[in-house]
Amino acid sequence: MTATSPPSPPAHAREHEHKDPGAHITPVRHYLAVLATLLALLSLSAISALFSLGYWNTIVNLAISVIKTLLVMLFFMHETEARALTRTTSALGFIWLAILIGIMLTDFLARSLVPPPW
Amino acid sequence: MNAMNASVSEIESLRERGLLEKQFDDPVQQREAATLGMWVFLSTEIVFFGVLFASYAICRILYPQGFAAASRETDMLMGTIETAVLLTSSSLIALGVRAIKLEQRKTAVWLLAGTAALGTTFLVMHGFEYYREYTEQLIPGLNFARGGPYARAIELFFCLYYFITGFHSLHVLAGVCVIAGLALRVARGSFGSERFTTLELTALYWHLVDIVWIFVYPLLYLVGRSG
Amino acid sequence: MATIDADTVTDAVPRSFLNAEAGLGSWLTTHDHKRIAILYSIGITFFFFLGGIAATLIRLNLLKPSGALLNTETYNKAFTFHGVVMVWFFLIPSIPATLGNFLLPLMIGARDVAFPKLNLVSWYLYVTGGLFTICALLMGGVDTGWTFYTPFSTMFSNSNVFLVIVGVFVTGFSTIFTGLNFIVTIHNLRMPGMSWFKLPLFVWAMYAVSLVMVLATPVLAMTLALIGLERGLGVGVFDPALGGDPLLFQHLFWFYSHPAVYIMILPAMGVASEIIPCFAQRDIFGYRFMVYAMVAIAVIGFLVWGHHMFVAGMSVYAGLVFSILSFLVAVPSAIKVFNWTATLHKGTISFEAPMLYALGFVGLFMLGGMTGLMLAAPALDVPLHDTYFVIAHFHYVMVGGSVMAYLGGIHYWWPKITGKLYSEPLAKFSAILMFCGFNLTFFPQYVLGYEGMPRRYAHYAPQFQVLNVLSSAGASILAISYLLPLFYLGWSLFRGTVAGDNPWNARGLEWQTTSPPPEKNFYKPPVVQQAYAYDRPAP
Repeated sequence: MTATSPPSPPAHAREHEHKDPGAHITPVRHYLAVLATLLALLSLSAISALFSLGYWNTIVNLAISVIKTLLVMLFFMHETEARALTRTTSALGFIWLAILIGIMLTDFLARSLVPPPW
Repeated sequence: MNAMNASVSEIESLRERGLLEKQFDDPVQQREAATLGMWVFLSTEIVFFGVLFASYAICRILYPQGFAAASRETDMLMGTIETAVLLTSSSLIALGVRAIKLEQRKTAVWLLAGTAALGTTFLVMHGFEYYREYTEQLIPGLNFARGGPYARAIELFFCLYYFITGFHSLHVLAGVCVIAGLALRVARGSFGSERFTTLELTALYWHLVDIVWIFVYPLLYLVGRSG
Repeated sequence: MATIDADTVTDAVPRSFLNAEAGLGSWLTTHDHKRIAILYSIGITFFFFLGGIAATLIRLNLLKPSGALLNTETYNKAFTFHGVVMVWFFLIPSIPATLGNFLLPLMIGARDVAFPKLNLVSWYLYVTGGLFTICALLMGGVDTGWTFYTPFSTMFSNSNVFLVIVGVFVTGFSTIFTGLNFIVTIHNLRMPGMSWFKLPLFVWAMYAVSLVMVLATPVLAMTLALIGLERGLGVGVFDPALGGDPLLFQHLFWFYSHPAVYIMILPAMGVASEIIPCFAQRDIFGYRFMVYAMVAIAVIGFLVWGHHMFVAGMSVYAGLVFSILSFLVAVPSAIKVFNWTATLHKGTISFEAPMLYALGFVGLFMLGGMTGLMLAAPALDVPLHDTYFVIAHFHYVMVGGSVMAYLGGIHYWWPKITGKLYSEPLAKFSAILMFCGFNLTFFPQYVLGYEGMPRRYAHYAPQFQVLNVLSSAGASILAISYLLPLFYLGWSLFRGTVAGDNPWNARGLEWQTTSPPPEKNFYKPPVVQQAYAYDRPAP
């Protein structure tokens, strides 16, 4: 038994080799292009809201929000360079929210269809 | 630094300089762990805010016209500008992290300060919104005064409005404080191309705050605008 | 002549994480996962006995149909306090924060968890939340039930709801950060050679439970915040006067609270999966299916919350969906019970205290699980909801299940954590006494519920008295069996025989280091084998 710590193993147990995700440098113009797209989508959602499209208004606005989110996640948050684990982690929160809302709707939308017998 | 080639002595040197914590074997492992940890935290934030979105979804499905009437009472122009402000701040902090990785410290300080400034602008604009809503008697539990067939639904909408924008603004405020502090530390030389993980993680947090608002904006400000 | 070794404090007391640094301050500022685990165990034991006192008051009161001890108001506060403390301050942190924190890095060959400072913060959050809850108790308690149903909790209760909500909110973040820490640790800090399917099932259990903690607890946090806001403002989304829906609260609450019960049982399953192979000296039967079953329980457990709301006014179609999914979630649990049993076949079985606890866990969990299936059928739930049948069901799984597994784990790893052996005869006696006391307490409650005795009532109809007295008698035996370990485990710290590195001849990396381990966990790198390699000698 010695006082020094054992030599560090050369590499931890990674399933496969992959490059260091922090090493990549994105050019400035990519960030500015993404920002321009985001602001354009913002204008689109604001302008389309002023037109009467029925339920399509909501669908268009939510779709635009989803696209904006994907742009932020992929390019500002560097998910294009991240490992699959990070992408799965980021998706899980949204999926779980979808489960919550989706199954709750089976209650709220179906209440009047068949009232409970008690 | 390519971990595959990092020798034992390089690792020891990193540990001595406080750049590698004792539970990690190499800096790539440390950064991957930190990034995964922050993403797990961001997923918890999505679920945390998600409860408010779920409540909103249920109430809106129950009271579609009431929510449309209520949304028309919000300030669409302010909301749109606030969204633009947050989107721009996201791009600034992304550029700021890039600058630090390239050792462009002064650029990074300005970009981080700009992010904090835009975040503060967002909060100030929200403050004006709240003040206007106060004068127009739209605060449930305080001075809410609306009549008509949709009165209850409008009050419900504004409960959600204050809950959602309130929690979101708290997160923006926390972000602004941290980013401003980081800007000062970058100016003092605490970060560089070897040490920037804290900035990356803070940027991830800020982007999430932006993403929450990306969904909040159409749900609160753009309902029933064409009516 | 003995060489003086830098790691030997004296010849009699080797250097370990317990004496690496001395003084209370070193414990309260530690980053060592092993010390943090011990800090948690102190808090958890304290809250267990606090919740137990509340249970004692309840069972004493129920000796007489007209209420022997408490008035209705105080009774309501007693069962609320019992539920809040036992769920959030004992059961949920018990195995993950104590055994999980201690063992996880050891089992994967790491030096610590991924974020040691965050680990300490988690403990402080737990303590802070606990202090708020004790404050609420001292200021008169809460009477809403641990489920905080609206509109009573938001509008009509005159008790300290806000304080308890803050306490649980803060402790919730302790849970979230622990789960986050574990997930990153398991993904990133496994030693070379420790691939996913060589991990002990306890590690898989920690992983599954961490996923649930991280995805479910934030929902609780926000839901409690909404209650607090509605209580403070007088208006909110659960308010029927505005068109809000109290059922919205129940959906949001149970979306967390059902996965929460899987937070309580999955670690127990992990502990059983470690103990049973060891005391049968055999590889676990169906390792891969045990892994898939745990992940399946964690995932499907998120889809079944509505079975708490069959009679609350939910739509019948939602009831149908939730019922089918609730039946489905029983399948992986059953697979695990079959596999634990099959592990015993042709094994060299010995009945030390950990094994008694683990076997008790399997049997009682099975009974509790099967009665859960009964409750999952809406037709049966209509007469059984809010009766003692439900109380018996969840105590079978939570107390007969989780608590027995927790105690089994404490006994199993006691030599590793403390370096001492406890008194085996006393421990065996305690385990058997607990099994008997538990069944005497809770089996009559199945009958009471079937016969129609409602839950959360301070008084009851006279025909239920005999079974209630039996149940309370059982509770007194159970109480003794919980107090006994305090004494003989505590005694072993001072007078117990010194334990070797591997007193049970178990497999797993934690048994390849000293008892107790050094601060850095391993003096020399451990040897990674297939999990549960009981067919080969221990390395």
